[in-house]
Amino acid sequence: MSGEQETVDLEGLVSKALEGINYSISREKGYVEVSVPLESLREAALRLKNAGFDHVKSLTIVDYIKKGEFKAMYIVSSYLSEELSGGLIALSTTVKRDKAKLPSLSDVWISLLFQEREVYEMFGIEFEGHPDLRLLLLAPHIAELKPLRKEFIVKEEPIIRKPK
Amino acid sequence: MSKMEEAKIYVGNIDESARKARELLLGKMKLGRLVDWATAFSLWPVHLTTSCCSTEFAATWSPRFDAEQYGALPWVGSRQTNMIIIEGTVTTKMACALRITWEQMPPPKFVIAMGACSLDGGIFYNSYNIVKPWQVVPVDVYLPGCPPRPETVARAIVTLQRKIREKSIAGKWVEEGWRPDMKYVKPKEDVCSWWRG
Ligand code: SF4
Repeated sequence: MSGEQETVDLEGLVSKALEGINYSISREKGYVEVSVPLESLREAALRLKNAGFDHVKSLTIVDYIKKGEFKAMYIVSSYLSEELSGGLIALSTTVKRDKAKLPSLSDVWISLLFQEREVYEMFGIEFEGHPDLRLLLLAPHIAELKPLRKEFIVKEEPIIRKPK
Repeated sequence: MSKMEEAKIYVGNIDESARKARELLLGKMKLGRLVDWATAFSLWPVHLTTSCCSTEFAATWSPRFDAEQYGALPWVGSRQTNMIIIEGTVTTKMACALRITWEQMPPPKFVIAMGACSLDGGIFYNSYNIVKPWQVVPVDVYLPGCPPRPETVARAIVTLQRKIREKSIAGKWVEEGWRPDMKYVKPKEDVCSWWRG
């Protein structure tokens, strides 16, 4: 399916699915972003799943360190429905950095089981209700550093040293 | 008849017989040289794939480059091998696996560090999760490149063979029971501490 022409009207579909939920929608390049408040994240996820978006392609965290918040983006799409499979929806929400906790959506989309574990070790965000929240790739003493947060500075060396 | 008398058969306590047999053999000829020669032509690397360099490792033993002609053949289990080619990046978790694999191999054993990543980290030189292999196991031959070509891997094997024969590493290892230069290369870090808890 060509990326430029979408055969489905994603905005219309989202507005029908998320009726009664306070959300904002914006068209980005290649996907449609739907931001919901944290309280209604789970409800929105369930409704999107019922509308045919059956899996999460990726769970991304953006660290806005100056605003003091994380933005979580669940990029959802569909395998089973042919007309939906061309579109991507980014369901996004924000959470405060100092109380970094998200509800686990792994019972809604099972493909989140591993992705939530990875976010947990890289960002130190806890997922409430995850059945098996263990470290996935990192050793414990590395995971303590929360290496993908912005305050973790990777030391850099110039490739060519400047003459003094 | 006199030859028959010379060839003794040792029975009974196995440690005692082994010691006597060793003394007999070492007294008669330069066993070390034989061991060096034999080891140099039976370097069996364990397939410890840690990263993308492993594709070139596989190509080295493919028909076109055929590293088996040097007497080196990748083998399956660590207990049947005597060489590790570290194929690229070693992460914190793999460092523990690398150390365990190395400890399982019967001596005399050798290590080739392959790729820029296993020299000093390569493109991940400042990553939080990188361990340099020389902190984990004693490395005999370093092999630069990202990734090194199969010819380079073959060259490293030949270099290691020459090193074994010229420095008599394997022979001394068998005679003295431990590698003589080990105290310089033995790593001090306990890389599996996180895992042992
Ligand atoms: S040296 Fe290059 S090819 Fe080898 S593991 Fe590192 S990045 Fe991959």
